[in-house]
Amino acid sequence: MIQHSLPASLAALSDIRRLVTQACQTAGLSEEATYRLALAVDEIATNIITHGYEEQGLTGDIVVSLGQTDQELTVLLEDTGVAYDPRTQTMPTAEDLDKPLDDREIGGLGIFLALAGVDRFDYQRIDNMNRNLFAMNLA
Amino acid sequence: MAFSANLEMTGSEARITLEGELDAAVADQFRQTVERAAQEKPQKLVLFMDKLQFMASAGLRVLVFAKQRMGRDVAIYVIGATGPVLNTMQMSGFHQAVYLRESYP
Repeated sequence: MIQHSLPASLAALSDIRRLVTQACQTAGLSEEATYRLALAVDEIATNIITHGYEEQGLTGDIVVSLGQTDQELTVLLEDTGVAYDPRTQTMPTAEDLDKPLDDREIGGLGIFLALAGVDRFDYQRIDNMNRNLFAMNLA
Repeated sequence: MAFSANLEMTGSEARITLEGELDAAVADQFRQTVERAAQEKPQKLVLFMDKLQFMASAGLRVLVFAKQRMGRDVAIYVIGATGPVLNTMQMSGFHQAVYLRESYP
């Protein structure tokens, strides 16, 4: 597993996407699956940086770990921001997604796009650390 | 690729050309461009997305802002969105809320 530690700042998002995209290309993932994984990681990283660190007045890092087995490519994001399990976020309903833009709530779409875009997502809180795991099938 | 959002007013149309990767770090640039466009009180907002390589939900939120800031009567056209950017809009239901076109006169 290859690890990269980046400062938890929005400016790091493009670097995080680049790391994920390179790992996908090395693993032979399709362009479409690569984009879905990069988007998912980007959305959760944005939440970590914005809500987990900045809004709490905290600073810290995000550790990006890239792994691969015969079956799947995994990306693990670890941070020490405030505890947050993305799976507890209420997902927009079909009715919400049909609403005209005038009536839309601003927000709530990022986690929906993240969780809908990957083949497997898992979250753990261990000690003072959030661990968000994303996986894409390689077959 | 660096993000840019360039505004051009053509008659009553506000045309914004988006290029690069639109994430939360740069979404405010897009929002400010929409704000400048809104101050011109356009009748139509046309967004050229054929050179947009990535769009996170932060970009979608600016589209919501644009509609709510400019008002119900201002139609939003999205031109040239392809591949995954288009797919993100479809997953989010935004394809029903804007006019999608492959090209624009």
